[in-house]
Amino acid sequence: MIKHLCKLVWNRKRINFLITIEIFFSFLVLFSVIVFAVYYLNNYLYPLGFNYENIWSIQVDTRSGSDEKDKLQRLAKTNQIISALREFGEVESAAAVWAAPFSRGDWTSGRKLKDGRDFDYSNNEASDELKEVLGLNVVRGRWFSKEDDGVTNYKPVVINQMMARAFFGDEDPIGKDISDPDDKERKEARVVGVIDDFRKNGEFSEIRGYVFNRADFTNQQSFLPRFFLIKVRPETTAVFEEKLLARLQAEARDWSFTIKTLVDMRANVFQEYLVPMTAFALVAGFLLIMVGLGLTGVLWLTVTQRTKEIGLRRAKGATKRRIYHQILGEMFIITSLGLLAGVLVVVQFPLLNFLGFADSKVYTLSIIISLVLIYLLTALCGLYPSRLATKVQPAEALHYE
Amino acid sequence: MIQLESVEKVYRTSKIETVALTNVNLSVRGGEFISIMGPSGSGKSTLLNVIGLLDVPSGGKVSINGQPVTSYSDRHLAQVRNEAIGFIFQTFHLINDLSVVDNVEIPLLYRRKLSGSERRKLALRALDRVGLHARVHHFPSQLSGGQQQRVAIARAIAGNPRILLADEPTGNLDSQMGDEIMEVLKRLNEDEGTTIVMVTHDPRLSGQTERIVRLFDGRQVN
Amino acid sequence: MLKNYIKIAFKVFLRRKFFTFISLFAISFTLVVLMVAVAFLDHTFGKQPPENKQDRTLCVFHMVMKTPDGGGTWSSGGGYKFFDRYARNLNGVEKMSLCTETEPVFSYHNGEKIQSYLKRTDGEFWQILEFTFLEGAPFTSDDEKNVNFVAVINDATRKKFFGDESAAGKTIEADGQRFRVVGVVANVPYLRRTPFADIWVPISTMKTNNYRGELMGNFNALFLARSRSDFLAIKDEFQVRLKQVEFPDPREWNQMYGVAETYFENTSRSAFGRQENYQSQNAKFLAALIGAMILFMLLPTINLININVSRIMERASEIGVRKAFGASSWTLVWQFVVENVLLTLIGGAIGFALSRFVLQAITKSGFFPYAEFHLNYRVFLYGLALAIFFGLMSGVYPAWKMSRLHPVQALKG
Repeated sequence: MIKHLCKLVWNRKRINFLITIEIFFSFLVLFSVIVFAVYYLNNYLYPLGFNYENIWSIQVDTRSGSDEKDKLQRLAKTNQIISALREFGEVESAAAVWAAPFSRGDWTSGRKLKDGRDFDYSNNEASDELKEVLGLNVVRGRWFSKEDDGVTNYKPVVINQMMARAFFGDEDPIGKDISDPDDKERKEARVVGVIDDFRKNGEFSEIRGYVFNRADFTNQQSFLPRFFLIKVRPETTAVFEEKLLARLQAEARDWSFTIKTLVDMRANVFQEYLVPMTAFALVAGFLLIMVGLGLTGVLWLTVTQRTKEIGLRRAKGATKRRIYHQILGEMFIITSLGLLAGVLVVVQFPLLNFLGFADSKVYTLSIIISLVLIYLLTALCGLYPSRLATKVQPAEALHYE
Repeated sequence: MIQLESVEKVYRTSKIETVALTNVNLSVRGGEFISIMGPSGSGKSTLLNVIGLLDVPSGGKVSINGQPVTSYSDRHLAQVRNEAIGFIFQTFHLINDLSVVDNVEIPLLYRRKLSGSERRKLALRALDRVGLHARVHHFPSQLSGGQQQRVAIARAIAGNPRILLADEPTGNLDSQMGDEIMEVLKRLNEDEGTTIVMVTHDPRLSGQTERIVRLFDGRQVN
Repeated sequence: MLKNYIKIAFKVFLRRKFFTFISLFAISFTLVVLMVAVAFLDHTFGKQPPENKQDRTLCVFHMVMKTPDGGGTWSSGGGYKFFDRYARNLNGVEKMSLCTETEPVFSYHNGEKIQSYLKRTDGEFWQILEFTFLEGAPFTSDDEKNVNFVAVINDATRKKFFGDESAAGKTIEADGQRFRVVGVVANVPYLRRTPFADIWVPISTMKTNNYRGELMGNFNALFLARSRSDFLAIKDEFQVRLKQVEFPDPREWNQMYGVAETYFENTSRSAFGRQENYQSQNAKFLAALIGAMILFMLLPTINLININVSRIMERASEIGVRKAFGASSWTLVWQFVVENVLLTLIGGAIGFALSRFVLQAITKSGFFPYAEFHLNYRVFLYGLALAIFFGLMSGVYPAWKMSRLHPVQALKG
């Protein structure tokens, strides 16, 4: 049966070639959308690593620039502001951080691991209170605390689980050094704790290594924070904002403050991911509808042109079921040819370092989903024409002889 | 009216050469009703196509109304087909996308002088002549085989050609419908003096014509 | 004759509604996507007010500073000191303006929080860019020199603060500072990176004077060239100036990079090039855009060809009949040309209406503040011409081949 179908497909190669090409491109289009969708969904299902409800972000512009001369003074002012924030009854806790969750800007580093892999990770710098504000979950060791005051021979760092796994495998990372061995002026960066995987850029962002440095406002080497994060009492409303801002301006007249809730910032980030994704999905969806209609049309015409052949088969004893299966079977072979070409092309992408963000699990899953969807599409397109084919009466064949 | 002198037709493909007609000489007078008979593959249809200028002979001469047409251009041949000849096919060859009256108008479309309303008038008159005036806005698929063939005849006569060529006009019809079609053709021949050349293998039909040309293996036999 | 062809074509369309629908769907949908993409590009990069002198303007959007070993990189906007000391008086530059990148600021007005985008700039800004003033006038270089707390606001901001009343002479509060409104301008779209803001105020009103000593900061520079032909010389001289920068501590930072360029050049360079390399990447960027368009159009084209080729086979008998009844090969080709062009034109009309609707919907959605997306008629005609071309290729070419066939063969089906 299969051999017979293949022969039929081959003998009508001109039109079948066009259909194969169409299926090939449809697969590529569908795959490129699916791979993003699967990737983002996979990320979305993974825990975020922090809380964002009832947390306000106060972005601060300290107008520092490249000028280092009054840095200590500004660091001291930062400390004052944290204290001032805590005095408000509405504020449960307050922290300073270099990059707030859902904010723009990343501080990234790369390292070659022992197994030769390149590993990229993000850095951040935070004050001791961040754990409380964001509800970070420490799985090993501890978060920064007063204990770290006055330590000068090493830099305490907290890393996330993914980083710990990549650097140390199953070994206990506590007390180990993660500084770059190639850096001549390096200072030991000693891991004091490990937290759950922390994803600053939100649910859709990738799961990557993360390092927190301790912000120490008595140390000239420390960064000036770019954000204050405050956890407010649940019933706090926007009215508090004006009061808060007045106080901040009084504390630092020449600095600028921008207050937003993490919930709003998260919504913004969501939009940035979802809008282009939706636009692409819409375009791809319409393309596939168009392809579907086109295929239905072509198959329909094929069936009407083959009335004689089909009638003859019926006259020679083929059942309706067999005719139905024959038409669908031919479609299946043509589709498979197109898909085979598509998969062959798509598996080259990771080798060319294209779409490199998706790991093999996401990639394989995307290929499978795309394959299933295309098969479904073509089956759907073949349904009506093959039903039509079963309606051909054996007599019609003789009629034309 | 129609003059064939030592006409030959050879079909060549890359592998084989098939001789369809050899040395056919035929002369049909105006107003004659002749039939061409012969077994399957004897070259009947080829002969009809050569007469109808649908096929170019490999050798010999074809004249219509005393004019040799063998060297005519495509455009010129099309004009002669349009004005002098009407075709009727075994499988009707109606265009399914067009209504009955639109199908009948086809030969009139390729005449420059006619306006839309004149075309419509001529088409309706042709339909009237084959007794189908009630179904002008139906589509071919809604008609019976006999009705479809009558539409095809109306189409063939709509432009008032002097010659009608019919290739097994009753081949796809039962005998009663076939008789009806035969009646229509005979009336056209008698009433209006239309020259008719009909291919058939039904002796009952050829018996009703004035003259029978027999073909065997591409040769005339008498 | 043409009228006949059109009549025949319509009859075929109506009889085969399903295929007509597929063709129309494919043509109009392709045109809509193409039009939206072009409208978007046009909106972002095309010439429109207030950037009426766009073809004579170069900008520096982004600067990079590096450590002696090249390992440390600081990338941001340029600093005021750098531009003021090293980028002034370039040959061929008629006017130069400095402005900060827009930043979100908040105002508390009658107990309500209002978010606006603020840009600090100078007097020349208003001469290089031609804003439409609804009220008052721009602030001047003297305002900037004398640290006058004056502001130009856009129409939307006026509405937020003052409703339908006039704003000139009134004061507004933004980022903890108070400004007297001297002018109101028509809204400028968010995606126009150089002119966009809600509130424009003099640079000197900055909260501290630190900016005056910075090589790196958040400033952009605008250069209005005397003519476009001076662009190359200006770009080259800017590179020479970069080499002259004196660094406060050359052991820490000792090299600076930046390019005077158009916004389109900036976009293509950030997509394909490196900040340190000032070679134009326009060709690559354009190639990528065109490539993406061709790739997108491939599927609808194959789809159309597919259907047309299948339909021609179906219509073999029709071709045979028409030939038998006196149609010459050319007549038939014309019939199919008319049929295809007509179908494409109808699809084009639907695509036109749909594109306008979609663009209006995007404009109204407010997702891109103050954006107005317009249908680009010229590109629409190109798209339509392309659709007709593919229609002819896919529909008429096979028909032409078919019409060369002997009618006998066509009639055999």
